[in-house]
Parts: sequence; C-alpha cells; structure tokens
Amino acid sequence: MLTILALAQKDLRILIRYKSGLFFTLIWPLLVAVMFGTIFSGESGQRAKIKVAIVDEDATTESGRFAARLEKSGEFEAVRANQDQGISLVRRARLTAVILIAKGFGEASGRLFYGTPPQVEVWIDPSRKAEAGMLQGLLQKHAAARMQSLLSDRANSRTMIARALKEIDAAPASGDKAVLGRFLGELDRFLAAPSDNPANAEMGSWQPLEVVEKAVARGTAGPAPRSSFEITFPQGILWGIIGCIMTFGIGIVTERTLGTMTRLQMSPSSRFQLLAGKALACFTALVVLQSGMFLIGRWIFHVRPQSWILVMMAAFSSAAAFVGIMMLVSVLGKTEQAAAGAGWAIMMPIAMLGGGMLPLFFMPSWMAAASHFSPAKWAILAMEGAIWRGFSLREMLLPCGILIVVGITCFLAGTRAFQRNLT
Amino acid sequence: MLKFTDVWKSYGDTKAVAGITLEIRRGEIFGLLGPNGAGKSTAVHLAVGALIPDRGTVAIGEHGDPSLPDVRARIGIAPQAISLYESLTAEENLTFFGRLYRLHGVQLREKIDAALRFVALIDRRRDQVKTYSGGMKRRLNLAAAVLHEPELILLDEPSVGVDPQSRNLIFENILHLREQGRTVVYTTHYMEEAQRLCDRVGIMDFGKLLAVGSVSELLTQQGGKTALVVTTDGTEIRMETDDPLGELNRLAAVAPVADFRLERSTLEQVFLNLTGRKLRD
Repeated sequence: MLTILALAQKDLRILIRYKSGLFFTLIWPLLVAVMFGTIFSGESGQRAKIKVAIVDEDATTESGRFAARLEKSGEFEAVRANQDQGISLVRRARLTAVILIAKGFGEASGRLFYGTPPQVEVWIDPSRKAEAGMLQGLLQKHAAARMQSLLSDRANSRTMIARALKEIDAAPASGDKAVLGRFLGELDRFLAAPSDNPANAEMGSWQPLEVVEKAVARGTAGPAPRSSFEITFPQGILWGIIGCIMTFGIGIVTERTLGTMTRLQMSPSSRFQLLAGKALACFTALVVLQSGMFLIGRWIFHVRPQSWILVMMAAFSSAAAFVGIMMLVSVLGKTEQAAAGAGWAIMMPIAMLGGGMLPLFFMPSWMAAASHFSPAKWAILAMEGAIWRGFSLREMLLPCGILIVVGITCFLAGTRAFQRNLT
Repeated sequence: MLKFTDVWKSYGDTKAVAGITLEIRRGEIFGLLGPNGAGKSTAVHLAVGALIPDRGTVAIGEHGDPSLPDVRARIGIAPQAISLYESLTAEENLTFFGRLYRLHGVQLREKIDAALRFVALIDRRRDQVKTYSGGMKRRLNLAAAVLHEPELILLDEPSVGVDPQSRNLIFENILHLREQGRTVVYTTHYMEEAQRLCDRVGIMDFGKLLAVGSVSELLTQQGGKTALVVTTDGTEIRMETDDPLGELNRLAAVAPVADFRLERSTLEQVFLNLTGRKLRD
C-alpha cells in the first residue's frame, strides 16, 4: 500500500507542477461553468435584441403604428430601410431579418373576422433559424396586442363593425354571410350596451392569452434548478474531469517515452501496484476537482446541493468511471501527440453525446438515444440528481451504478492493453 | 552474482538475445560491449526481471529469479534513457524511488544525502531536474540506481551525451562502487570506456555473446599481434610481430631508425576481428 501511495503522491505532485494541465483541470472547468451560468441567468446584461430592418411599404397610419410598436417594444434593434437595403444588410450578416409591412396592411387591419388578414413578410438569414422562430412569435404577440388595442376602443370597434356589415351586405349571398352578419350585429349591440355591464367593462383588458412568467423558488414542488449555475456546474465539472483524465492518460504515455516507466518496471513494485498508484492519483485528483468545484459553486455561485451525501456518491462514481477511461486513453498511442489526438477524438463525442456541450433536448432523437452509451450523460445526471433533480438514494443507484460498471470495464480493458504494451 | 543460462528472447522474428550463457562474478565490473541493437539493453532488462526469457534462466546469486520483487529489490539500475521526473527536484525524485525500494523516514533521508554526495549534487538537491545539465541528469540517474545500496548495479550506457567532466566523475563513481564490493554491469558501445573500467568484458552482436574475458585476455586472444611502426630513410614501415624489440634491433642494424612506435591492439580491433565489421558500422 505504501508503494501505491508513493506513486499516487508523485503523480499528484507532478500534476501540481504541470501548469497547463492544472489550468485545464481546475481553472478551465470553472470558467466554463461560470461563463455558461452567467449567460443562462442573464446576469451578463440585457438579453440580446434581434437586429432587424423594418420596411413599411404600406405607409398608412396603421402600418406606421405597427412599425412604431415594434421599434418601441425593446425586443428589436430596428432600423428603417427600403426592401433592397434591408435584404442587403441581412445578406452581409449585419441584420438577422427584414420585417416588411406589405401593401394593404392598413386596409386589411380595418377588417374584423373576415377577408385577407394584414400581412407582414419576414426575410430571414437562413443560418439563424432559431431566431426566425423567436421572431415569428414576437410578431404574433405584437399583432395580438394591436388587436387588443383596437377592440379596447368601443367607437373604433363599432366603426369597423359597421364597415364590415356594409361590405358583407354587398357581397353575394352565402351561408357564411348570414352567420357572420348575425355575429357582427350581436357584437355591435354588445359594444353599444352601457359600460356598467361587468362583462362589458372587462373587455378593454381582454387578451387572447396571458403569459405569466414565474421564477421557480426553493421548495417548489417538482424538480427545478434554483439557479442557472446549478445546471452549468455539472457541465463545467465534466470538462474538468475530461481535462484531468487526459492529463493523467498522456502522463502515462510520457512515462513510457521518457523511460521512467522502465525504471518503475524494474523496481520491486508489481504491475498491479504501478497501475493502482496511477489510478489512485487520478481518482484523488478527480474527487478533489469535483469537491473543489462544488465548494466554489456553493460559496460563490449559490449552487446548493440537496444532499452532500448524494454529491459525494456522484463524485466518487464519476471518478471511478473516468479513471477507467483514463487507462484506455493511456494506451491509445505510443507518443503523447498520438494519445492526445486519439484521446480528444474519443472524449469530444462522449462529452457531446452526454450533454457536455448542448442540452440533450436539442439533439435529434437518435442522438438522444445514443447518449445512453455516454458515461458523460450518467455523470451529469448523477450530479444533477444530487444538486437539483431531487433524486432519492435509490434513484441515484442507476447513474452511479452505470458509472462504476463503466469504470471497472474500462479499467480492466485499459490495464490489459497497458500490460501488453509493456511486454 | 548474475547468471544467464542459455537465455533466448525474441521480438517477433528478431532474436534480441540468442542463447546467452554467462556468469558475472561478485564484486567485478563487467562490461557488456556491442553496437546499438546488439541486445545489450534486452540482456539488462532480462537481468532485472522486467522481461521474461523465452527460454533459459536468469538468476541473481543465491536469490534466484529476478522477476520476484524481493530479488529485484537487490538490484539497482540506471536505464539508458534518463529516467527521472523533470518537474520534481533531485530530492523528490530520490524520495520517490527510495520509497519504491521500501525505504522510509530517517533511513531514507540518510541514503538520499549519501547518494547526492556520491554524485556531487548535494548543493542542487532542491532544484528541479529540468534545470540540470545533461551530465548532472546522468549523475542523478546513477544516484537513483545506487540509492538503496543494491548488491548488483546495472548501468545501461551511462556516459551517453555527457560532458568530459561529468564522464570522469561517473567513472570515479563506478570504480568507487567496486571498492565497496558491489557488482557492476556496464553496457556501452565505447570500447575505450570498457578498457578503462572493466575487469572483464563480454562482446555482443546480433543477440549473441561472441567472447568473454578480461581485457588483456581478449586483446591477446582476439586482438591480433602488436604492430611495430618504424620510420627509416623517410619511409614508414608497419609490421605485426610477437617480438617488437627484436624486430626493432634487426631494422636498426640495417638502416638508421629516425622514429618508431608500438600499436597495441584495442577492443575495437577485437570486435573487428570477431564480427568482420567496425563497432560503429
């Protein structure tokens, strides 16, 4: 045991002296967690506005009002332009989209419940599909707000209804015509009724849908993170784990290329002791890394695990899994460069599939299914379970058990390949 | 002290060691000579049990199989590559290696001091190895081999890439180890080093042990006759002879001798005679 401790102590001492390794093991994951946590929480400043050009081809009072509403909303960084100028700016990636208020917008706005609706064209940068969806939603929101505003004005509403009834009367006879005529007539009578009618009084504030945004607070039923850092710290820790095992894996290759492994082989230590010493050093570094990240998260970023016992379960099982993977990385190449290249080539998809880069729900279904084979997914799930998912001890057994099985399997495979390399 | 009995070791189709039988005596410096790729390093790895022979046996004195940890603890080795951790200090390196050889506490500290004094690095003990010159690293490599006071010390090309000052210091260290009664196996492809240091040498090529004996024995048996080179009447005459003094007298009687010298055979010549090629071909 003393030999194993000596080997582990030596490797940890070398890790501390190896500045770039230390950076990617301890500092980089913290930066990742803090950076993404800050972005997700919106604490880095105002949410980014969508840059658009507004083209008012209709040039009516209604289209002008709608354009002004968009400009004042605070959701857009808008410039006025003609169609060609706007499209040119989008093509040059200066703007995300052109919102073109088409001819006939004002006239169509005067129609209620019939005829062609007011039309807006959106010319979008095809590389920014995510913002296109958001833009459509915002335009629908402002259209609904415009509708609400029109209906809130009784006199204006009644004028619109009178105009509509006149146009319907002039239209050819049909079943819809009679129904729409009756509906608008009833609506006109409703609007003409005294305003002390309680139902009538509420009409001014009527909306098609009211969205109430509520922050999830501690103690809320169901799983929910209490801060965006509770989501990003497990991801940051995962990157720290990957950095750490790459450092140790490549360190073993370095021992072979520099010849120190030869001296170790020729010492009275058994191969089991040599490998156990390496594994212990890596395991210790991973546990210290995770503990340090959790403590920094707790003290500075208000990451408040629901159970420190579960946190330790997650940390130990993740460490076990990735120590095994470290042993595999160490046999991937005969030189440091080869091992590093092959190691990152394997670790990047593991991290990506596991949700270390993108949340799993962004992925296509087959990739989400493939994530079950990524130890990174189970490591993040175990950490989330301990921090905010509210896992019970029993629920923790699945991710932790999978991680330990992965660790043992990879360690045995890596050890076997390592021993074959030595002989 | 170290006995190879019909030892064979192959890597694929390459026979790295091909039927070596050799006994190295306690307290001697034994030189294992041969060009690069002759099989010297494989023989050293077999001697410390880091490699298992395909056939034959290797034994360390009465202790037996060197693959057993307790037997290996009696051996010290300075591998050909400088096998040290560059980001650790000399003291930290020796502490680590000492602990692998089951040294602890006061005993370990005393042996580290002794080893660092032995290789004249006591003043640099707290400096990281990466700040050392090539010669200093070689000396520390030697210190790590002798730290636990082993009975058998294997030095694999210990003078490669070393400045003359460090080389001389390493040679003095090796001679001092013999005075302490240690057995030293010294592999090299520099014949002059072997002539200077070794009590006996073995010459290897293509995995085979071609000849074993003291330097003078090998020179006598395999080196050919001594050459007498005489300058007379502006002409240089070279002749191989068993009686250089007699030949010189005979020549002086015929014509005046302006200059003469004797060229004794070297281990280089021995190797040439044994293999038909020069050592560094």
